[in-house]
Amino acid sequence: MTLLYVTCRLSGLVKMATTGTMQLRRISASLAFFLGLLSVLKTGNCDEQVPLILWTSEGVPTLDQSPPVAGHIMEQEQLSSYLEKALNEGPKNVVLFLQDKMSIEDFTMYGGAFGNKQDSVFPNLEGALRSSSSPLVLPAVSWPASNAVIGQLQDQLETSPLYMDPETLSQLRLNASSPALLVFRLPYGIGADLMSAKEILSGNDEVIGQVMSTMKSQSVPYTAIYTALRPSREAASLSMEAGLGGGRSLLQYRYRERERERERQRKLQERAGVYGPVEFKEGEETCILLWAKSLSVKILRSGRWEEHDLTPSTFGEGVSPKLQGSNCDKSKARLVLNYENVLGHRSFKLIFAMSQRHYRVSARRWFTLDAVELEYDGTKATFNGSRNIYAPAEYSYRCESVTSFRWPLLVPRSSKDPANQWRVSFEDFQIQGFNVSGSEFSYASDCAGFFSPGIWMGLMTSLLMVLVLTYGLHMIMQLRTMDRFDDPKGPAISVPQTE
Amino acid sequence: MLLECMMNGHAILYTGVTLAFWSTILIVGICYTIFDLGFRFDVAWFLTETSPFMWACLGIGLAISLSVVGAAWGIYITGSSIIGGGVKAPRIKTKNLVSIIFCEAVAIYGIIMAIVISNMAERFTGTTPETIGAKNYQAGYSMFGAGLTVGFSNLFCGICVGIVGSGAALADAQNASLFVKILIVEIFGSAIGLFGVIVAILQTSKVKMGD
Repeated sequence: MTLLYVTCRLSGLVKMATTGTMQLRRISASLAFFLGLLSVLKTGNCDEQVPLILWTSEGVPTLDQSPPVAGHIMEQEQLSSYLEKALNEGPKNVVLFLQDKMSIEDFTMYGGAFGNKQDSVFPNLEGALRSSSSPLVLPAVSWPASNAVIGQLQDQLETSPLYMDPETLSQLRLNASSPALLVFRLPYGIGADLMSAKEILSGNDEVIGQVMSTMKSQSVPYTAIYTALRPSREAASLSMEAGLGGGRSLLQYRYRERERERERQRKLQERAGVYGPVEFKEGEETCILLWAKSLSVKILRSGRWEEHDLTPSTFGEGVSPKLQGSNCDKSKARLVLNYENVLGHRSFKLIFAMSQRHYRVSARRWFTLDAVELEYDGTKATFNGSRNIYAPAEYSYRCESVTSFRWPLLVPRSSKDPANQWRVSFEDFQIQGFNVSGSEFSYASDCAGFFSPGIWMGLMTSLLMVLVLTYGLHMIMQLRTMDRFDDPKGPAISVPQTE
Repeated sequence: MLLECMMNGHAILYTGVTLAFWSTILIVGICYTIFDLGFRFDVAWFLTETSPFMWACLGIGLAISLSVVGAAWGIYITGSSIIGGGVKAPRIKTKNLVSIIFCEAVAIYGIIMAIVISNMAERFTGTTPETIGAKNYQAGYSMFGAGLTVGFSNLFCGICVGIVGSGAALADAQNASLFVKILIVEIFGSAIGLFGVIVAILQTSKVKMGD
């Protein structure tokens, strides 16, 4: 998402650079070419557009503007050519309704597009478009271009914009000959709460109606533009949906949940810097390695979960956590991370206890993360990890998500253990306690296998069905028709109709 | 000549299936070896992670379907013989229906066992091997085993009774006194289906699925 945002901004900037409206000549020629290429490629993908609606007041001679091709996303240059033409040939008073967010879907949803015109929340807007001599609807303008509308109008009319609301408009005296740029900021609201969106749009339409009537009473010809700064709905990109593991969701009410997940993913991605693992050295040699993208602990206190993010004090460039109490030998390794002032406890320790041994049946050495312990103020909360967190002793163990609550790999040792009050979570966790060479991880044995249990169950059942099919085919193919009495050279059989 | 050999549909089908099966096994095995990922081949993981429900339902399905295949096969063999022999010796028609009934009994054993086994399948709440519990795993595997037992016993019992019944019909058409002797053979053949049912009942006697 951030990449798209950056590329959209850059493409917008490049367009401005090439048209020369802004002084961005610092971009070197090669970079400009690259960005131009990227913008050409990415134009289709910049899938966040806002609509722009332009109309002139009654009685103004018609402007001859060709509407855009369906599905075409309008960029900065094209939009500016449209606006230039409108302002050169049309009235010089411009009323700009700038909504915080708008998408074409708002009109589809609330504009009575399904035969229910009486439910439409845009009666004034529709009336204005009907009565106007030259309405222009651009359904897809890329939002950097729509943000630049106000700047362009300012340049072209050579006046500064006046931010108004309907009350102050009635006090203003307008002149047909002198240009004026009146800007009305319209809210959209926070979040995607369906009910309030409809009311907000209805309120905005009322404002438009009031402004129209005031302008009409002053009998000044004007051009009106209705657009927004940002799209109100983001088109769901497939990769994000697939990455969230929830599949595609077409139901509107899940929008907020998706937003929250997206925020979480965005925060995680921003945080993923490049840093080395936590190393515990016994003597000169590194003995234990630990790496994670994020590490947090939560405690349940009086019915509420209180969280503490331990990532900045454990991982990062130049961060060295205190490892007192750690030790390792051939068969046992123990990594102790010491913290201070965590969730109200003065001393807080996170202990990883690992062991390795030879297992006879597989004839191989394996290591297991036996326990993850939290030690604070004399209490010890223990999570058992030996059931799920294991790898051959020569390799490291890596898992995307090691938590005690979400598909838990760590379980409290017993039902009375204080660990039942805690929640530990690691993102992108990798650990190695034995056979560490150098200060790099060995091959990472991932917790996610190639086939999931579900895939195996499906394969088994499908195999059974295939066997049944094979057997059935065999049976059918060995059916033979009686051909003992066939005589190809004899007369054809005749079945008489009458007796 | 090879082309003529291959024109046989059976040959194409079986070579195709065998080739697919063995090449899959070979390629998977080679990959495991080359990448030293043999440790990921974990039968215990497969047995504990697959749901006991799958095993139970496979057992129920196999119980009824294999029994019905056996019964159908038996009836088809016996039936065609009775009809064929009945053209020349119409008196055999009624008496030899007993063979058909023996075959049908096999299908009835199958459906009874399927109903008995399916009554034992209960819901359980548990998603990890620890929370599912040993009892549920035992239940799943027992039901699968019982289904296999009764299914295959009835399959072969049905075929056996069918072939013997067919022989009985044709012998009866020639000489009426032979029928009763051959019926004894058929009774022995039918008993083996019953053995399968008894063992399946024993297998599922201790099953207790649920929380």
